Amino acid sequence: MEAAGGEAGGRQREAAAAMAMDMDDLGCPRCKTTKYRNPSLKLMVNVCGHTLCESCVELLFVRGAGNCHECDTLLRKSNFRVQLFEDPAIDKEVEIRKKVLKIYNKREDDFPSLSEYNDFLEEIEEIVQGPCTQVTNQRCHKSLELPRQAEGQSWRFMGFRPLPSAYAIFQHGQIYNLTNNVDLENTKRKMELYQKDNKEVIQKNKIKLMREQEELEEALEAERQESEQRRLLIQKEEQIQQILKRKNKQALLDDLEKSSLPASLLLAQHKDRSTQLEMQVEKPSQVRPVTFSTGIKMGQTISLAPIPKLEEALYTYQPLQVETYGPEVPELEMLGRLGYLTHVRAASPQDIAGGYTSSLACSRALQDAFSGLFWHPN
Amino acid sequence: MKLNVDGLLVPFPYDYIYPEQFSYMLELKRTLDAKGHGVLEMPSGTGKTVSLLALIVAYQRARPSDVTKLIYCSRTVPEIEKVVEELRKLLDCYEKELGEKLPFLGLALSSRKNLCIHPEVSALRYGKDVDSRCMALTAPHVRAQSDGSRPLCNFYEDWDTHGRSVPLPHGIYNLDELRALGRRRGWCPYFLARYSILHANAVVYSYHYLLDPKVADAVSKELARRAVVVFDEAHNIDNVCINAMGVTITRRTLDRCQSNLAALQEAVQRLQQVDEARLAQEYRRLVQGLRDPELSQGGPLLPEDVPTEALPGSIRSARHFLGFLRRFLGFLRTRLRGGPLRQESAPAFLRDLRLLACIEARPLRFCSERLRSLLRTLEVLDVSEFTPITLVANFGSLVSTYSKGFTIIIEPFDDRTPTISNPVLHFSCLDASIAIKPIFERFQSVIITSGTLSPLDMYPKILDFRPVTMATFSMTLARTCLCPMIVGRGNDQVAITSKFETREDIAVIRNLGNLLLELSAVVPDGIVAFFTSYQYLESTVAAWYEQGILENIQRNKLIFIETQDGAETSMALEKYQEACECGRGAVLLSVARGKVSEGVDFVHHYGRAVIMFGVPYVYTQSRILKARLEFLRDRFQLRENEFLAFDAMRHAAQCVGRALRGKSDYGIMVFADKRYARPDRRGKLPRWIQERIPDSSLNLTVDEAVQVAKGFLRAMAQPFRQEDQLGLSLLTVEQLQSQEVLQRLEQGVQQL
Repeated sequence: MEAAGGEAGGRQREAAAAMAMDMDDLGCPRCKTTKYRNPSLKLMVNVCGHTLCESCVELLFVRGAGNCHECDTLLRKSNFRVQLFEDPAIDKEVEIRKKVLKIYNKREDDFPSLSEYNDFLEEIEEIVQGPCTQVTNQRCHKSLELPRQAEGQSWRFMGFRPLPSAYAIFQHGQIYNLTNNVDLENTKRKMELYQKDNKEVIQKNKIKLMREQEELEEALEAERQESEQRRLLIQKEEQIQQILKRKNKQALLDDLEKSSLPASLLLAQHKDRSTQLEMQVEKPSQVRPVTFSTGIKMGQTISLAPIPKLEEALYTYQPLQVETYGPEVPELEMLGRLGYLTHVRAASPQDIAGGYTSSLACSRALQDAFSGLFWHPN
Repeated sequence: MKLNVDGLLVPFPYDYIYPEQFSYMLELKRTLDAKGHGVLEMPSGTGKTVSLLALIVAYQRARPSDVTKLIYCSRTVPEIEKVVEELRKLLDCYEKELGEKLPFLGLALSSRKNLCIHPEVSALRYGKDVDSRCMALTAPHVRAQSDGSRPLCNFYEDWDTHGRSVPLPHGIYNLDELRALGRRRGWCPYFLARYSILHANAVVYSYHYLLDPKVADAVSKELARRAVVVFDEAHNIDNVCINAMGVTITRRTLDRCQSNLAALQEAVQRLQQVDEARLAQEYRRLVQGLRDPELSQGGPLLPEDVPTEALPGSIRSARHFLGFLRRFLGFLRTRLRGGPLRQESAPAFLRDLRLLACIEARPLRFCSERLRSLLRTLEVLDVSEFTPITLVANFGSLVSTYSKGFTIIIEPFDDRTPTISNPVLHFSCLDASIAIKPIFERFQSVIITSGTLSPLDMYPKILDFRPVTMATFSMTLARTCLCPMIVGRGNDQVAITSKFETREDIAVIRNLGNLLLELSAVVPDGIVAFFTSYQYLESTVAAWYEQGILENIQRNKLIFIETQDGAETSMALEKYQEACECGRGAVLLSVARGKVSEGVDFVHHYGRAVIMFGVPYVYTQSRILKARLEFLRDRFQLRENEFLAFDAMRHAAQCVGRALRGKSDYGIMVFADKRYARPDRRGKLPRWIQERIPDSSLNLTVDEAVQVAKGFLRAMAQPFRQEDQLGLSLLTVEQLQSQEVLQRLEQGVQQL
């Protein structure tokens, strides 16, 4: 999993490098170099959203940390990234957003309904960009007016314990907003709170997300490979066509050289053949269906092989030997002849219909009576 | 006269009928009976339109429960007008027959530009301006808070108060009549027409009202299922479908988006201070997940793909949405800057979008709808000002909705000017079937018809539908009035071809010039010559000038040249026709796929000969075309060459078809390229041309071609009376009933 994450990061860096290639008119605000004058200029941006070129970063942050030359924020050198967007503010926002999303990574299936998920999404936006109007605050207040119990649940659900501090944030209708540096402290506290409460969910979703990303990558990779294969196939087909045509031409020459037939006939034959060849080219290769009507891929082998046999000794029946410690009970058939049945109630037609015979009951009674008769404790 | 078409009584407005018209109606009737779709090819100038109208109207009358409406789609305004005139003729015929007026309403619908009667608005020059001015005067929010301070359109107001309750009286209305009616009653003709198409029996309008999802939803949504849709001149329908779904974004678009965004931001802020309640109302509506049906109209998505769930929370509030757009725009800007040419699929683009700009696909799908909602909440008057950002939002919605059949191509510069950076992002639809699929599903019968649809089986393939009838009709002629031939060599035996390797060859160009020169000496009146591209036209004409060929041609005829400028071209056309009228004749040099090749007819003496110089292939190096070819190969197993040849041949056929617009007309059709003789190319020409090329004129030299032309023209110069045609290519009712004729009819149809 670690490796996959690293790989994704690498790809992201690559893509970023490719995109940041050409920004002619942008320049470093400190040394005033522009991309035009120095094509290898690399602009960097840190968490505060102010741009510096790579050499200025090297120069100013020799010790690994320092202050931003514009806003005096304490910055670390390792936090500098290649600037992607023309507007560094977007870079900053995206950076923050990524951080927030790492924590607020709940997904739609974690919520009972879509509207709650949507509220959650809006929550994220509020953290990153700030609430737009008082309307949102009204919504917050409104939900605070709900009966206490339900409200507590809903907040817990959203990831906030109904703590006094969390209340305070909402009740004052304060604006917290990471991108615009407004009310940083409260927002940060809120995020920490959320993180603590939702540790498990966050971890679980992180794993899920990674797996999903991997799947997407795989799908894209498969697509690429498929198109590559197709290209090769077509190339091959074309080559074969070329060879056939050449052969046909050669055959005509040979025929003209050797055959005794009139040339016009040979030419006509050749023409026929070449048209045939051409028409053959026109004929589209038969479409091979890729999936069955059930949606199962054709290449996929569904194992039709029988379930493997378990090799072990077969069970053999051994008649049961029961020691009854009593006289032998006569066989079922013998009961009537020996006169036992005369002492038992005869079976009525209804009983017989149900499968009952009087000998059954009699034999059972005899077994009961005889067993253990000869038993002696010694 | 009255025809009996397979048991259906069809009144026909003319005294005579062409045999192929009758077979065409037969096929059409079968299609309607089966309630399926059809592909029908019939030569130009044999009365397709009137046969279509006559049969469908009769069918409508005979079985009102099966077919309630005829929707006739054509391409240009003049063509629409022509169809309406034919319809009027047909209805007059009904009136004569029945002795009373038929309760039938047929009307044409066109854009606001063609229908507006507001004195100020209609004076505007561009259609876009008319649209946005009209919207500013008639939008619901403008009218809702009108206190007399804002101007309103009186015509619309009048129509809105009275018009809906009074249906349009029965009859046939073309655009002029609609305008006149509007003036008389003081009603807006555009909205009147748009409202009236709902209960009209026949509607004639442009393709876009059905195919382009941005307008189709608003105009044609309520049309009933039991309608017959006819696409006339449909040989280019796949391109119309593709263009309806594609988006092209340039650097300039993005720059203007940036200012749009700033304007929106400002407007939101202002509104926040002035009238917060309005934003709040919109927000509440969105939170509750209530979606306005009006807003889902006008989007770029097909109706069935418009998402129906509630708006995602991340773009619910106006400010968050603007931030979202800002990021999206920033991403696009960076993408456009980024170095080399790149082509990627929608999923790959979305992945990068998520990784680099943290934009998920789900909110992006709602992008265009959300923008429309915002514009409405802000009560923006001039919507056209926000076209760029609407375009970008549309792109967002499209790219996140459709993953298959689309591709994203970012070209850093134009191929012609590789040193000037001019990045363009094409979001190109590769699959023509996407846009037209809802039409096939929604309407009972869709008829695709044109003069040049060969090879017929191509259209069901690329549009992905199953027609119940596919038929091509040949032309029955009393005299062979068309003379197609293939000129493959010059007099010096050098092959004539527009192949890339040899097209600049002096000998080839000279041979082409000689062909035109010698034909101009023998052909009376007008000659139209088509080149494969503007570039080729220019270079060839320059070479002819140097070789003195141009001068020699001018001794015979005047020369006119089509250019890329529309005004210049119409001027050239006008003068060309004038020259033809004068009697000496003229030569018009134009370009296949240009304006002349598509919409202009050269009847009778305006075009006695058409020469097609070279095979009009598309520019094969274009990335979009390459992507489409690849897609066609993967999806429909169409080989690249096959599609390219098909496309070239349909344009060639379209070009040469310009000359022959009826049976009394005659014309020479010269294909000047040896490649036309190859069986796979020739097989893609329409049948009615194909079967008239004898084997002897498959590879002519210039001299031979001139001889053939001379003979043909001499034969055509003989007097030709209608009686000669009767019984052969022109039938009366009695003749139509004879067994022999019916047998002959069978032969004229080739079904697939």
